[in-house]
Amino acid sequence: MTGRAAKATEVNDTFAIETFNLTKIFDSLVAVDGIDLAIKKGELFALLGPNGAGKTTTINMLCCLLKPTGGTARVMGYDINQEPYKIKEVIGVSPQETTLSERLNALENLNLIGRLHGINPRKLKTWSKLMLETMGLAERAREQVRKFSGGMKRRLSIALALIHNPQILFLDEPTLGLDPQARRAVWQYIARLKGDKTILLTTHYMDEADFLADRIGIMDEGKIAALGTSVELKTEMLATHTMIVQAWNLTQKVVSEMRSRYAQVEVDKGSMTISDQRLDFKEIVDQLHAFGAIVRSAHIKEPTLEDVFLKITGKGLRE
Amino acid sequence: MRFWQLSLRSFKEIYRDTLALGFLLAFPLMFMLLFGAAFGGDTTPSYTIGVIDEDQTTVSQSFVSEALASVPTIEITTFTETNTALEQLELGDLRAYIVLPEGFGEQVLLSWQDGEADIALNITYDESDLMASEQIIASINTATRAFARIEIPVTINANPINIETEITNIDYIAPGIIIFGILIMIPTSARIMLRDKENRFLSRLLTTPTRPWEFISSYSLSLVAIAITQIIVFILLGWLFGMDIVGSILLAFLIFLLTAICSIGVGMVVASLTKSENQGESLSWLFSMPLAIVSGVWFSVEFMPSYIQTLAYAFPFSHAVDAARAVITRGVGLEAVGGDLVFLAGWAAGIFILGTILFGRTMRS
Repeated sequence: MTGRAAKATEVNDTFAIETFNLTKIFDSLVAVDGIDLAIKKGELFALLGPNGAGKTTTINMLCCLLKPTGGTARVMGYDINQEPYKIKEVIGVSPQETTLSERLNALENLNLIGRLHGINPRKLKTWSKLMLETMGLAERAREQVRKFSGGMKRRLSIALALIHNPQILFLDEPTLGLDPQARRAVWQYIARLKGDKTILLTTHYMDEADFLADRIGIMDEGKIAALGTSVELKTEMLATHTMIVQAWNLTQKVVSEMRSRYAQVEVDKGSMTISDQRLDFKEIVDQLHAFGAIVRSAHIKEPTLEDVFLKITGKGLRE
Repeated sequence: MRFWQLSLRSFKEIYRDTLALGFLLAFPLMFMLLFGAAFGGDTTPSYTIGVIDEDQTTVSQSFVSEALASVPTIEITTFTETNTALEQLELGDLRAYIVLPEGFGEQVLLSWQDGEADIALNITYDESDLMASEQIIASINTATRAFARIEIPVTINANPINIETEITNIDYIAPGIIIFGILIMIPTSARIMLRDKENRFLSRLLTTPTRPWEFISSYSLSLVAIAITQIIVFILLGWLFGMDIVGSILLAFLIFLLTAICSIGVGMVVASLTKSENQGESLSWLFSMPLAIVSGVWFSVEFMPSYIQTLAYAFPFSHAVDAARAVITRGVGLEAVGGDLVFLAGWAAGIFILGTILFGRTMRS
C-alpha cells in the first residue's frame, strides 16, 4: 500500500474527517468521483457547488447512509465501511429536507432523537429547553411541528442534529428555501458553533460559504475542483481584474481602441466590461473620454466565489 | 431502550392522525358488515366423511366401497366405533360421519326386488358449517338413491352436533372476516414505515446508532397495539351481530393476535423491499388480496384445487381461519389448534427475522 491508500488505514488525530478516493456510482452516473479531503477538528468546511454536484451524496456516505462504491473515509478515526455505528454516535446530521416527525411537537422530536442517542432523560430535559430557547422555539415547544413555518422547521432540524452534543455536525443545505431573515438567523447560530465543533456544511449559496466557512471545497460533477480559504480561492481570480463602466457614446471606434489596449472588452448597450491583469481606474476613464465616450459611472468589480466557480468550471453555480 | 422510544413515536404519529386511524378501523369493519351479510359459495368441495357400518352385510360393504367412494365431493374414512368418529368430528378432522344401521342391506335388497323400501341413514355432522352440511347430506342422499335404484328420497336421520348452540351465518363467516381485517394490516404496516421512508424522516433516524432489529420491532410494537384494538372491536362487533364464541375467547384472541403479528411482519418485509408508499401499497394489495381469497376467509379452502390448498397452507392465514373457526364455532381447545398456533408463531418469528435482514441491507442503499 502506498500514498493515500496506505493512509486510509492510519488514524490521524488532527483530522475529524478524511476521505480517501471516495467514490459513489449510481448505475452509470458517477455522483462522487474519487475525492480526497482532510477536514481538521474544529474546522467549518463548506462544500460549495450546484445541484447535482455530489455534495449530498458525499455527506450521505460520511454519515453512513450510503455505502461508497469505492474508496473509504474516516470520521473521528472510525472507518465508514467498518464502524458505522461508532460514527453515528459522534455525529449530528441536519439533512437537506427538513425531516421531522410531523405529528410530534418540537419537544417530543428533540426527546426522540436525544433518547436514540442514549442521552439520559434528566440531561435531555435541560438540553432540550436550552436548545429550544437558543433556536427561538421555546414558545412553540408543545405544538405539533406540522404547523411550523419552513424557517422554524429548519431551526428545529439543526437543533435535532445538536441535541446529543455531537463532535461533528453535518449540515446539508441548512438554509435552503429560507427567507433572508431566517437565513441570517441560522447563519448566526452556525457561526456561534465554530471552533467548538467540526462542521461540514454543503451549500450552493456562495455568500453562505463565504460568510461561514474556514475553508471551502468547490465541487463540480463529483470532483473537488478547488480547495482553500475564501481569500485563497479569490486570489486566483485576482490575476484578472474587472472594471465595469456605464457610459454614453460607446461608438465602434471607442470599443476598437479599448480592445487594442486590454485583454477582454465586452459591450452591452451602455455598459462596457474591461478585464485584464492590471487595470488603472483613472487611466481607463481618461482613455474613454479621449476616445469620445462620456463616462457616467465606473467601478472595479470585486471577485466573488461565483467568479471562482465560473473560472474553474466554465459555468455558473445555478446552471 | 431505543425501540421503545421509536414505538412510542410511531404510536403517537398513528394516534394523532385521526383520519388515517379512522380508516384503519373503518375499512375492515365495512368489509365485515358487507361480506358477513352477503357471502356464500357454490363450487365443488371435498369433505372427509367417516362411515360406521353396523350392518356388516355384503350390500352395506358394497355401498361403502362403490357408491360412497364414487361421490366426487367426499372422501371416506371407515370407523368401527361411533365414539372415535365423534371425537374426530369435534376436532375438525371429519365433516360428518354416517352410520349404516342394521337392516340397511336388507332394505336395499327389498328396493332392488320391488322398488319399495324404508332405507334410513344416520348422519352426524358439524352444524357450524351450514353450507358444507347441506352439501354432504344432499350428496349422500343422491348416492344412496342411485345405489338402491329408488326415486323417493332416503330417510336421513340428521344428528347435528352442538345442538345446544344456535349457530348462524355470522358464526361461520365472522372469523374469516376478522382474519381478513387483520390481513389488511399488511398494507397498513408497509405504509407506516414507507411514509417515514418517503418523507425522509427514516434517513434522519438512520443517522442515529439505532440497529435494524430496533427499527423493525418498534414499528411492529406500535402496530400490534393498533391490531389489539382492531381485534377487540371486531369481536365486539361480531357479538353485536350475534356471533357466539363457543370456545375460549382468549384462545381466539391469541390466534388473531398471532395472525396480526404475521401480517405486520409481511408489511415490514414489503416496506423494506420498496421505496415509496405507492410502490409498497401496490405490492401489499397484490399480495394480500389473493392471499385472503385462497386462505378461506370467504370460501372454504376445501372448495379449491389441491395445489391451491397446498399454497394456502404454506401461509399462516389459512391456519388462522381454520383455528379461529374451530374455536369459535366448535369450541375446541388448545389441544386441537396447538399445531396451528405453533405454525403461526413460527411464521411470525421467521418473517420478523427476514424483515430485519432486509431492512439492514437497505439501510445504506
